[in-house]
Amino acid sequence: MPTLQMDFRESLKMAVKTLTASKLRSSLTMLGIIIGNASVISMVGLGEGGRRYISEQIQSLGPNILFIVPGNRETRELGGLEITRNLVLADAEAIAEQVPSVVDVAAENTTPGLINFRNRNANASVIGTNPAFLSVRNFTTDQGRFISELDMQRTSAVAILGNSLAERLFEEQVPLGQSLRINNVTFEVVGVLAVQGSNLGVNYDDAVMIPITTQASRIVGRTSPYGIQVGFISATARDAESLQTAEFQITNLLRLRHGITRPEEDDFFIQNQDTLLTIADTITSALTLMLAAIASISLLVGGIGIMNIMLVSVRERTQEIGLRKAIGASQQDILIQFLIEAIILSAAGGIIGTLLGVGGIGLLSLLTPFESSASISVIVMAVGVSGSIGLFFGVIPARQAAKLDPIVALRSI
Amino acid sequence: MSSLITLQNISKVYGSGNTEVKALWDVNLSINKGDYCSIMGPSGSGKSTAMNVIGCLDRPTHGHYFFDDQDVALLNDDTLAAIRNRKIGFVFQQFHLLPQLSALDNVALPMVYGGIPTAERRQRAANALQQVGLGNRLTNKPSQLSGGQQQRVAIARAIVNRPLLLLADEPTGALDTTTTEEVMKIFDELNRGGITVVMVTHEPAVAKLTKRIVWFRDGEVVNAHMSPDNIGYGTLVE
Repeated sequence: MPTLQMDFRESLKMAVKTLTASKLRSSLTMLGIIIGNASVISMVGLGEGGRRYISEQIQSLGPNILFIVPGNRETRELGGLEITRNLVLADAEAIAEQVPSVVDVAAENTTPGLINFRNRNANASVIGTNPAFLSVRNFTTDQGRFISELDMQRTSAVAILGNSLAERLFEEQVPLGQSLRINNVTFEVVGVLAVQGSNLGVNYDDAVMIPITTQASRIVGRTSPYGIQVGFISATARDAESLQTAEFQITNLLRLRHGITRPEEDDFFIQNQDTLLTIADTITSALTLMLAAIASISLLVGGIGIMNIMLVSVRERTQEIGLRKAIGASQQDILIQFLIEAIILSAAGGIIGTLLGVGGIGLLSLLTPFESSASISVIVMAVGVSGSIGLFFGVIPARQAAKLDPIVALRSI
Repeated sequence: MSSLITLQNISKVYGSGNTEVKALWDVNLSINKGDYCSIMGPSGSGKSTAMNVIGCLDRPTHGHYFFDDQDVALLNDDTLAAIRNRKIGFVFQQFHLLPQLSALDNVALPMVYGGIPTAERRQRAANALQQVGLGNRLTNKPSQLSGGQQQRVAIARAIVNRPLLLLADEPTGALDTTTTEEVMKIFDELNRGGITVVMVTHEPAVAKLTKRIVWFRDGEVVNAHMSPDNIGYGTLVE
């Protein structure tokens, strides 16, 4: 007599009937997978959104910009914490004067500051810079003027406020011409920047700009014998084509000025949009991966939850299994029945979790500046993975059920 | 009349050495097609083990078992499952109905494993329920039925695949006198319709209604052809 085989549709119907007979237990079992899937999808979405946000910020800098940063590239990339401050204002001036492929050069040095206007005060970044800053970074003033060459020479106590800082300190009043104190030094407000938004982690809207020379002599209060230290130098190349030339020329000039003979001794390095994008990409990818890995753990826990409940279910339904076997179910029939139950639980949990995850991404987009989105590939993967989790964690209980001896199973009461 | 069940020198031994238990020892038994037979004996006499062997749920340790002229001892689990599905109907003391299924779906279950198409399943399940007098209870869940009704659903499930053998293990053990009579009447009708009926029972009153009694003691058949007329209420004590 040939072995009988139940068809798949019947198994499916039977599994659905069994699962809907105990709705609360089924939904609780699914919960683990739901949460796991929702978190994987929203975390990956968040990571992707973050990556896109950072990329956009870097691209908004324009294609011609170069950043000259203190420190050795190797030690920086190895994650070294040693940040040397061996770029000086004179370096920036030399680049501006001597490198022909460069149009404008800005130096920036940021110190923390306490700003007072009458009885109001605010903590804000004090950015010392030079007049070229505006054109290099493509910023504009909203009111008044920016730092002038004369301010630089005279170390004038003039300040240009970021847009939101100005609002915070002055509210309805006109800031121009007012006096405020930065770390107890009196400055005159001569300008307010237009809204710039946060840029590469620096919120220029909430900062105050002063001449870098003034910053060195009045705020920092000391000048190294080598000159005024700067945090970094940004420069614009004449056009995209001369970017490499500019990089080469700046490197040579700085090596000459710093007395460096071997490239590995470089105490500065140059980043352009591409290298910044690569760095940001590496970081955000690692971050996304980490978020996904953490979220995957909850998916795994969900799978174990399914296995747990299925094992309990096999125990509870011993008699049912015995009966099914007595009336002709083969081992395979029983195996498939329990596997299908586990897969339905995890796949349904996966789909619900995906919907929640997509909803969560929508919510994250509202709460964060990131344009998060759920990619189709992640959704397909998450649903596939959760289905496989059901298959994987369903095997052990299903085999246990299939191997039950019908005599023993029927007798257990 | 030809033989449906032939046990030849069947032994079932559990364990080995000092812990060896002879559940069945050298049992020879033959039950013909159309027979209506009860298996009796004290607890531990081997009647349940014999029942499991006859029902193809268990294989003997020694000996040959011919069911419908097929040596069952040689077959694998899945083939045994198929034989149980097609040729044997089981009725249990505790009914063993699936609580989440309606009466109709419970009765149709063996046909699901038999690969019978849905429409035919429904038709045959309804007919079987009709046959046991539950034609108006098709959609009820087991919890909505009385014990007697549940056992009748179980009988309908046992006969729905038109088996050669109806094997009942204490079918009236959980029922009161009235419903016992109802259930026995159904067995009687089924037997008259041509189905061989074998039941294990403790109750002399039930055994009296069958045509033949097989008496077990200590794993052996003591009397394979006891007449039901010779059994009284005192017999069980023996």
